[in-house]
Amino acid sequence: MTGVVGRLVEWTAPCPTAIIQSMPSDLDAALVERHSIGDAFHVLVFEHGDVARNSRPGQFVMLKPGRSTALPLRRPFSIMDVDAERETFSVFMKVVGAQTQALAHLRIGQTARCLGPLGRSFQSPQSPSLPLLIGGGFGIAPLLLLGAVLRRDAYEPRVFYGGRTIADLALRRTLEDLGFSLVLATEDGSLGFKGLITAALEEHLDSCTLPTSLFACGPGPMLAAVARIAARRGLPAQVSVDPWMGCGMGTCLGCVVPTRKANEERPRYRCACTEGPVFESSEVVWTDDRASPSRARETTP
Amino acid sequence: MTLAVTIAGLRLKNPLIAASGTFGYGIELENFVDLGILGGIVTKGLFLKPRAGCPPPRIVETPSGLLNAIGLQGVGVASFVHEILPRLARFDTAILVNVCGDTVDEYAAVTRVLEDAPGVAGIELNISCPNVKQGGMAFGVDPLLTHAVVKEVRKATRRPVIVKLSPNVTDITVIARAAEDAGADALSCINTLLGLAIDVETRRPRLGFGTGGLSGPAIRPIAVRMTWQVAQATRIPVIGIGGICCAADALEFLIAGASAVQIGTANFVDPNVYQSILRDIERYLQRQGVARLTEIVGSLRYPRQQ
Ligand SMILES: Cc1cc2nc3c(=O)[nH]c(=O)nc-3n(C[C@H](O)[C@H](O)[C@H](O)COP(=O)(O)OP(=O)(O)OC[C@H]3O[C@@H](n4cnc5c(N)ncnc54)[C@H](O)[C@@H]3O)c2cc1C
Ligand SMILES: Cc1cc2nc3c(=O)[nH]c(=O)nc-3n(C[C@H](O)[C@H](O)[C@H](O)COP(=O)(O)O)c2cc1C
Ligand code: FES
Repeated sequence: MTGVVGRLVEWTAPCPTAIIQSMPSDLDAALVERHSIGDAFHVLVFEHGDVARNSRPGQFVMLKPGRSTALPLRRPFSIMDVDAERETFSVFMKVVGAQTQALAHLRIGQTARCLGPLGRSFQSPQSPSLPLLIGGGFGIAPLLLLGAVLRRDAYEPRVFYGGRTIADLALRRTLEDLGFSLVLATEDGSLGFKGLITAALEEHLDSCTLPTSLFACGPGPMLAAVARIAARRGLPAQVSVDPWMGCGMGTCLGCVVPTRKANEERPRYRCACTEGPVFESSEVVWTDDRASPSRARETTP
Repeated sequence: MTLAVTIAGLRLKNPLIAASGTFGYGIELENFVDLGILGGIVTKGLFLKPRAGCPPPRIVETPSGLLNAIGLQGVGVASFVHEILPRLARFDTAILVNVCGDTVDEYAAVTRVLEDAPGVAGIELNISCPNVKQGGMAFGVDPLLTHAVVKEVRKATRRPVIVKLSPNVTDITVIARAAEDAGADALSCINTLLGLAIDVETRRPRLGFGTGGLSGPAIRPIAVRMTWQVAQATRIPVIGIGGICCAADALEFLIAGASAVQIGTANFVDPNVYQSILRDIERYLQRQGVARLTEIVGSLRYPRQQ
């Protein structure tokens, strides 16, 4: 579909675990391509040299259609793919409200304010292992870039992709075309494993003898389930969270997640936009579903 | 043409100041913004001790507005003075510190810590935050408490004291005069309006704290009206705040009587909004044939009442 996954800048090399944050930049980014999958899902390709060159998997951009400095605020979207040669990047967007609607319906050539790349990326596995990538709904987006980078680094990632129904798995063809080893799950059984994607993951883990590491992005309850599975089985897991974000720059303090690192006595609120959105799952203090904005989205008309 | 203004003895190169809580401590944005183009920066609110803030969700967008309950998460005044203030020294802009407290004593104590710190241009007293259980807005909605806290802080510092007013009162001029009488050098007008947004499916507030403070263009007409009333009711300078996103918005406040303005929520959309606002204010002054910005302050041609 986008055909550019994989043509990437260096991600991990030469220093695999260092977090070297590149400087984000704020540009008017022109929409150069749109691929719509039904009414609700769109892959949007924007021109933005800095994002195209410097993004790491798990990082995001803040987008706002047009140039107005009035509200509404910018909205955060994971970087799904980059193409350094064409100086473009793409996002996978689910239309849920006015801003996603407006962005999805930009005409080719029209611009969006685009700030990025932002945030802490996924980190490459600490030791050789089988990476399992677990994506729920639009949470699949950053896993495409992650999958491409892992493959380039000679890993053989396996992708678990879940949704409520077949229509939610809008990127399944893309993943197939890219040749990923793929496990699909729908809650209503309309495609693949019937049930939650985390149940499919457990089934796989039960029969898997290789050391694995987990990478997940999706709704809060899914991430909490991944964290529980990882803790029970002693697996390393990185999760990308998506709280409401006001600025993406660490100034509004609106995007905090309760976290607690191993050496900390008490939990602390950390900004998902600067210290996340990717966290070690063991560091997140998982609260009830109410605190999860993703859950709120599912229930709001 | 000059855009310079003087407030409470403080000379600012232009009237645009970043509002408290919307610009971090300034340094977070050093890679995004040329901080030197700002007239000033008001820091995030500071207490004596670090604060965790409110449980998430902390922000929700409403029509033309932002409802927030951050709850004054912050590092505490000591960390600010030792770790952050020195890093701000190299930027040519006035650093104003937003001072908070649960009690009158705490407000005064925070102010005293800042008194010995180099690089603080002035104090902005936050007696108007709606998102904390104690202190905060409780002071700003009561003229006697306002008087008491401003008086104590006045004693604790030689620096300019700017009092930030709450709009959550019937008559803001009563509080404004109480602050003036107690020795305030200037007034910031306004903080956020108390609001509530409800998730109808769960029937719960959309914010973790419950209620929140409303900011952004939705509150601008209220803020302009209050700025106008306060400017007439007091003799000290007023700093207008509320929903400013462009030059025309800023000019509304100046014409209503504000000597300077603060920009809050718009920083989240574009922290570089200052450049275009300054450019457009200059163009406006040219168009109006005015050489100094100060000439338009309070120049409202209000219809005479019958
Ligand atoms: C780090 C990060 C990465 C993201 N990546 C993607 C992505 O790749 N693709 C994609 O389609 N979306 C992504 N999102 C979510 C996306 O930002 C929201 O869907 C978008 O902001 C909604 O804007 P809107 O104006 O269309 O909807 P609004 O009118 O603002 O909201 C519509 C409904 O969506 C819900 N909602 C709003 N913002 C969020 C949010 N941040 N998280 C969860 N629910 C929300 C609310 O409950 C609301 O009822 C990401 C969010 C974050 C924080
Ligand atoms: C997220 C957020 C945090 C804020 N934090 C503070 C604060 O710490 N202290 C304070 O005095 N005002 C705080 N405010 C109020 C703003 O400084 C300003 O008075 C208000 O937002 C109105 O201006 P605006 O409409 O331009 O945002 C905050 C506002 C927002 C939106
Ligand atoms: S989104 Fe504003 S601090 Fe993270």
